[in-house]
Amino acid sequence: MLFNSIEFLLFLPTVFFLYWFVFKNQLRAQNVLLLVASYIFYGWWDWRFLSLIIASTFLDYFIAIQLGKTSISKKRKLLLGISLVGNLGMLGFFKYYNFFVASWIEAWSSVGITMEASTLNIILPVGISFYTFQTLSYTIDVYRKEMKPTKSFIDFAAFVTFFPQLVAGPIERASHLLPQFYKNRTFEYQNAVDGVKLIIWGMFKKVVVADNCAFFVNKIFESPETYSSGELFVGMVFFAFQIYGDFSGYSDIAIGLSKLFGFDLMVNFKFPYFSRDIAEFWRRWHISLSTWFRDYIYIPLGGSKGSQWFQIRNVMIIFLVSGFWHGANWTYVVWGLFHALMFLPLLLFNINRSHLITKSYGWLDFAKIGVTFLVVCIGWVFFRADSITDAFQYLAHMLELKNLGLTLFYKTNANLMIFGLSVLAVGILSMQELVWVIKKRELPKISAFGALLLVLLIFFMGSFKNQMDFIYFQF
Amino acid sequence: MKKFLTKIAIYTFFILLIGNGIAYLSLYVLGKSQLYKNQFVKNGVKETHFDYVVLGSSTGLTTLDTKLIDKILNTSGLNISMDDTSLSSHYLMLQYFLSLGKSIDQLILCVTPSDLQNPVNELNNNDYRFLTEVQDTLIYNYYNRMEHGGLKVLTYSKFMPILGVSYYNNELFYPSMYAFLKPTKRNRFDDKGNYTYPQIENRIEKGIVTNIETSYLNPSFLKIKKLCKQKAIDLIVYQSPIHRKNVVFPNTDQFKIINHSRILPEDLFFDNIHVNSKGRTFCTLAFCKELSK
Repeated sequence: MLFNSIEFLLFLPTVFFLYWFVFKNQLRAQNVLLLVASYIFYGWWDWRFLSLIIASTFLDYFIAIQLGKTSISKKRKLLLGISLVGNLGMLGFFKYYNFFVASWIEAWSSVGITMEASTLNIILPVGISFYTFQTLSYTIDVYRKEMKPTKSFIDFAAFVTFFPQLVAGPIERASHLLPQFYKNRTFEYQNAVDGVKLIIWGMFKKVVVADNCAFFVNKIFESPETYSSGELFVGMVFFAFQIYGDFSGYSDIAIGLSKLFGFDLMVNFKFPYFSRDIAEFWRRWHISLSTWFRDYIYIPLGGSKGSQWFQIRNVMIIFLVSGFWHGANWTYVVWGLFHALMFLPLLLFNINRSHLITKSYGWLDFAKIGVTFLVVCIGWVFFRADSITDAFQYLAHMLELKNLGLTLFYKTNANLMIFGLSVLAVGILSMQELVWVIKKRELPKISAFGALLLVLLIFFMGSFKNQMDFIYFQF
Repeated sequence: MKKFLTKIAIYTFFILLIGNGIAYLSLYVLGKSQLYKNQFVKNGVKETHFDYVVLGSSTGLTTLDTKLIDKILNTSGLNISMDDTSLSSHYLMLQYFLSLGKSIDQLILCVTPSDLQNPVNELNNNDYRFLTEVQDTLIYNYYNRMEHGGLKVLTYSKFMPILGVSYYNNELFYPSMYAFLKPTKRNRFDDKGNYTYPQIENRIEKGIVTNIETSYLNPSFLKIKKLCKQKAIDLIVYQSPIHRKNVVFPNTDQFKIINHSRILPEDLFFDNIHVNSKGRTFCTLAFCKELSK
């Protein structure tokens, strides 16, 4: 079920009504309701996906219980191993099996050996990477004795499948979200109002910014060789805003929805395009994933301690794994590598923490923001292109600077109109976020009048006819 | 909770009020303009009787030049074709045209073989253009019949215009602003409803000609035929040129068929199914010759 669908428009008020009116002050019933609602929400795509998420839930629930019962190191390691193999095995099979088979055949064929192997017709379950990481965080935390295993299967299952953030995050830590299922939840007016405003802001980012930009992005990336350098440049910038509007829009909606049910989710984006270097970008972009990698991979690997070579290795691993997490394509790995290469100089010169989010902006910082944005945009070309070759050709053609014409955007009245809307939408988003960044806000703060205006903008600027799925669903 | 729900209700009310107000104004302005073909025939065509009208989709819009036909045959004609439509929309357009109190002697119906034999009618891409007339039972019933799925945005626009106007905001809302500034502006057609594709070097590949057989299975075609009979309108089915295709029609004595599927030289095509401006003149002259036989 999509947040921007008619079904969800009926689903949400129904769940909301049952939650706050029928099952008011009945914690267990509320959790059961959330679990059932989440299964309906997820099964709406394909009921077969439910079997995987249920299997993953059972696996980690029972393993955590066993971990809580034993203090024998060997047994604990074995239990953790089973969880890792089970969860990552499912993720690997459904997401990466075909990719590995194809890459294996390709690798042998490059040295002249032809191999026969068939790929499988596997459907990638929506959001598998998100809920796998969420359940893993629970087992790892229990293994590390940082939290106690829950005895309530319902609470745990509701935590794994919590519908607002199930398919595209934020990837919640068990230590943050799970305890919220244990506590009685009371309706708080201000929290709910803030939630509604966040949902509206998220919808604006998705329907107005991302989906309008997508109209041109899809055209340009489909056959970049037919477009001018100028058009390719705009296409690249539009994709930066498409993916940001799409993904952060989803996160805002998820956080807003959770507030409606009395839950608090972690902030996933902190206006990342106002970063002054790549290190800051990663402190502002997809925070729930980058902190997950930091806590469960980077720090266990030694983090920034040890020799420089050690640090470089750790950074490379973290960025490559991050790239690979996004999808079964080498383009994501190259995207991760690109970011690692942009990040390493900052680490080596020990300036990777010179732009903390709390630090105020000076005039010079806006030049740094521009440069960082361009670097991020170049990275996005690898992320969006179908292959590495395509990405390099896109960049090469763009940097030729032979033709800076922007004919595509005014070729037809419809194109001109959508281009105008996209530019306006990006302008509104950027200006509004600039205000929040200067005021050092972490989350959007919208007045009642602003929310009303945003809804009208969604109606009259939104791309409903060319509606796109959320990009991160595929991850 | 009570305060929250009250506020949500109040804000929803205001949003719907303002949104529907804007959408209504938008449709009103567009309805008074000549931007799309249906608004043009209502606001831009003063004559009430025509010797003929050309009705079809983009091929109808661009193949026959009514100005040239009128000059040669000394007639008065109009092109009421709309691009990206099919026989169901043509039937709607004909009904709408006649409901405005206008009359015709001949209907030149430009068809495509696939559409003619398609037994299932669906909503067409440009049917939203009739939304300015959604209060008209004819249009409302058409939308209601053609739209499927959960939310029928065009149909329910009769009560909540924001639905259709926001869904088709690029096609209706922004053009209505333009129409407000230039009410007589027409969207890619002249004062007789014609449009022509430019003279460009086409990239059509040469090859062997194949036959396409068609049949009269489309229910809207049958309705058009029936309506013509009721109104004593002479129906002429016209097949415009198609590259490397020879359209074969089943024999009938119920209406005249002018089949130009194979008459056009390669260089007069704009693309596989459309003619360029020279091709339009070529087809129009051939059409006049056949009509005067």
